[in-house]
Amino acid sequence: MTEKPYEVVHLDELDRFPVDDEGLLWRPVRRRLGITAFGTNAYTAEQGTERVVEEHHEQDGHEELYFVASGRATFVLGDEEIDAPAGTFIYAEPGTKRGAVATEPGTTVLAVGAKPGVPHEVSAWEEVFVAFGYYRSGDELKAREHLTAYVAEHDDAWQGHYNLACLEALTKNRDGAIKELRRAIELDPAAKKYAEKDEDFDWLRDDPEFPA
Amino acid sequence: MSGSAHISDLTLDFGQGPRWAMVRSHFGISSFGVNAYTGAKVGANVISEHDEAGPRAGRHEELYFVSDGHATFTVDGDEIDAPYGTFVFVRDPEAKRKAVAVEAGTTVLAVGSAPGVAFTPSQWERQAPILGFFADHEYDKAIDGLHELLAESPDDPTSEFNLACAYALTGKKPEALEHLRRAIELDPDFRDNARTDSDLDSIRDEPGFSAIAGEPDSTGAGS
Repeated sequence: MTEKPYEVVHLDELDRFPVDDEGLLWRPVRRRLGITAFGTNAYTAEQGTERVVEEHHEQDGHEELYFVASGRATFVLGDEEIDAPAGTFIYAEPGTKRGAVATEPGTTVLAVGAKPGVPHEVSAWEEVFVAFGYYRSGDELKAREHLTAYVAEHDDAWQGHYNLACLEALTKNRDGAIKELRRAIELDPAAKKYAEKDEDFDWLRDDPEFPA
Repeated sequence: MSGSAHISDLTLDFGQGPRWAMVRSHFGISSFGVNAYTGAKVGANVISEHDEAGPRAGRHEELYFVSDGHATFTVDGDEIDAPYGTFVFVRDPEAKRKAVAVEAGTTVLAVGSAPGVAFTPSQWERQAPILGFFADHEYDKAIDGLHELLAESPDDPTSEFNLACAYALTGKKPEALEHLRRAIELDPDFRDNARTDSDLDSIRDEPGFSAIAGEPDSTGAGS
């Protein structure tokens, strides 16, 4: 099959996956268009009071450029707070704390990211976001199907197993959660540290077989 | 360094061609290319026609986002209506692409990088600060900057061509002709630019110009 030389999509046509319980919507751009050379996504806060960029550090070494495509947001960048109306670029070096809260309804922020000095690799979290988007929308079955398929394809990626363990824990599947978390820790002991603090597993912590 | 800037504070007007916000170089981004282009008037070029396959291109995948106004894209011969909020992703480096403003002040954000290799800034983009000097008619500063670029990359035809333009604009005709000769020697495609670029008007009737660039093109190719 020959790939089309180009793709077109409008912001309004992008999927809307809930990322948290407060209304932040993830709008996959890279995934929709099949971009392979850099990461890019949009995030929308419809009410204008909710988070539009999760507060995080880029632990995988990505630098990120945000662009306020509509509305207005207050960004946190390191120790600085920045008022960002539509048309503002925010650049965050790897490791700099960044996040944003919308201050106008219908705020959309476009994010572009990649790791300097190496060819781009598609981030594993994208498929995890899709699965948990289904879960938050009430479609547990589709969430499990999506994440299980991802894990089957990427059996050596601890993040897939870890997030499947979270999904199993959230849906009260003890055996599935323990099995997937064990596999995640086997692949990378860092998974144990995350599990120790992850409230998805709280109800399993006293289980003698719980691995973290 | 981490920081912020509004697009209106980054956008430069060169007097001809699209206005250009040099986003990547402003922030020092090193893992992908990103710039924004604005067509001031209806019908103005926002993205000049190009492909990503030539000797001066990086075989980038390119993502365009209409961040303001309304554009018409032409990609691989297809016309695409692109109001505010449209993403146009061109994966094929061979595909010709361009965009024209349907509304005055139409802005398109362009992001690019090549799949499977670590990003390096495009050679043409290193001209960005120099083009700012051209926009401000500070040709002596442009000449100094271009000589610095040539010291780093002696065989860069774009620097040679722009140096020819800067010398022509300051009336230094022998220097202009010599750098034009070198530009075309390095990349014969610059022969077309030489025939049509108004920066070179002062040397077009000079003896030696035709030998370097060919006869003046009465059809106005490249315009």
